[in-house]
Amino acid sequence: MMIPVRCFSCGKVIGEHWEEFEERARDGEEDPAAVLDDLGVDRHCCRRMMVSHRDLVDVVSPYQ
Amino acid sequence: MADEFDVEFIRGDDREARILVRGLTPAFANGLRRAMIADVPTLSIDTLRVVENSSVMFDEMIGLRLGLVPLTTPDDFEYGDTVTLSLDVEGPDTAYSGDLESSDPDVKPADEDIPIIQLNENPSGENQRIELEAEAVLDDGKSHAKQSGGVAVGYRHLRKVSVVGDRGEFDEEETNILRGVIETEDGELVPTDEFDHDLTERYPGKELEVEDVPGAFVFHVETDGSMTVEELVLRGIDSIESRADELQEKVAV
Ligand SMILES: [Zn+2]
Repeated sequence: MMIPVRCFSCGKVIGEHWEEFEERARDGEEDPAAVLDDLGVDRHCCRRMMVSHRDLVDVVSPYQ
Repeated sequence: MADEFDVEFIRGDDREARILVRGLTPAFANGLRRAMIADVPTLSIDTLRVVENSSVMFDEMIGLRLGLVPLTTPDDFEYGDTVTLSLDVEGPDTAYSGDLESSDPDVKPADEDIPIIQLNENPSGENQRIELEAEAVLDDGKSHAKQSGGVAVGYRHLRKVSVVGDRGEFDEEETNILRGVIETEDGELVPTDEFDHDLTERYPGKELEVEDVPGAFVFHVETDGSMTVEELVLRGIDSIESRADELQEKVAV
């Protein structure tokens, strides 16, 4: 649905980085690993939160 | 037990730092780590009064997300004290943690750009909207992980690396991975990420000896933003101290 506020494993706040990550790595052409390094999302537990996320609000919204 | 502690900041900022402490026992180092994780209280949203929520998420899901938003926590709060915050956003827009309005100027979201919920326009034409009042309460990490100010707090021994000779001429040059902070023979402290955690990178062609420095611990302290690293360490120590005092009092009676 929405990006989780914190990493499930370590509790670091990662939600704030999602929109930049989406813009640069998903929609843009940049290397996701380089973008995550740049954002300071270093641990692999936090990185998987971003890499494996799908936004579903627009998918669910019509059925409200 | 050594009679004096020696503390040195190796590197860091307000949110994340490496701190070398000498003169600790492993038990005390672990006590401090646990105090920083579970015994230093922070403010977190715990109760909601929902006025309107026509978003795609249930009230409970919004409540969980708001609870996880770190709030700056001044040190003059007592356990159970509350602060009221409010959120009122109408779509099409995204509600961010920065949209939370606090009744106390010292208590505000530590990060302003955390998306809480995206609000769209419904097919019927009206906009999704969220309006609520939230109550943040001071509690510690033993009650809920959201109340914990420390994130991934840990420590390693300080390791001393000394060159004992040259590697044999025909020996293979293999990687020698070590993470943390090393102390060189000149007493210089070097975080291992400066040489990609590979000792062979720093000392090519050398035979090395690596040993723990007794009583020296390198803490890696990271906070969620509710307080600075320095404050988290100090409040952790205060918490140990106040509990020891209480025990002393009880035993003396
Ligand atoms: Zn993580």
